[in-house]
Amino acid sequence: MGKGQARIDNTIRTLRFNAGEMTQAALAEKVGVTRQTIVAMEQGRYSPSLEVAFRVARAFDVPLEQVFQYRGEGE
Amino acid sequence: MSFKEWEAVVNIIAAIVIGAWVIFEALANPSATVAAVAGRLLWAILYGVLFTIAAMIVMSILVSIARREGFRDEKADERDKLVGLRAMRNGYVVASIAGVASLFYLAFAADPAEAAYVLFFGLMLAGVVDAASRLVYYRIG
Repeated sequence: MGKGQARIDNTIRTLRFNAGEMTQAALAEKVGVTRQTIVAMEQGRYSPSLEVAFRVARAFDVPLEQVFQYRGEGE
Repeated sequence: MSFKEWEAVVNIIAAIVIGAWVIFEALANPSATVAAVAGRLLWAILYGVLFTIAAMIVMSILVSIARREGFRDEKADERDKLVGLRAMRNGYVVASIAGVASLFYLAFAADPAEAAYVLFFGLMLAGVVDAASRLVYYRIG
């Protein structure tokens, strides 16, 4: 969340698909956030805190950088 | 829409309804004393709280029926708290302006009852700005 376009991409939708079409609600339950927050993250409308980002990565059992990728300015 | 977004909608509706009632009362009794106006505004605050509680219950029941599942509030997560803080900041700006405006009214020897109305409607507007900001931040991030 912030001004301008988010510069953090994520692969949550793909990872959910690879995890047997895990639902947004199930992921939200695992991560400890609301389903709306998962929706906002997937749509790039919200960049989570570092702690929640780690919890998302742990929910899929993958490294953090496989879930979130930072796009620098102008990229 | 999530429960918190519906809550914001209810807050806006409550502010409009109570604001309309206060305007109606003010027009019906224009020459009321300061004490009478202050008492009316205190009643308006109480009615606002009661209206909001009743509207939240009705909204929960109607949305539960429409969705065919229990519609309850979820525990606020970090995004909810962030949205709430940003919205509160916007509301605080409006509330501050309302406070200063009411002081200006009094400083320039205007009718204290009018100053009370300025403060009341300023705070109502602050509540509307807070709720509307929550709706916007939930939608655009």
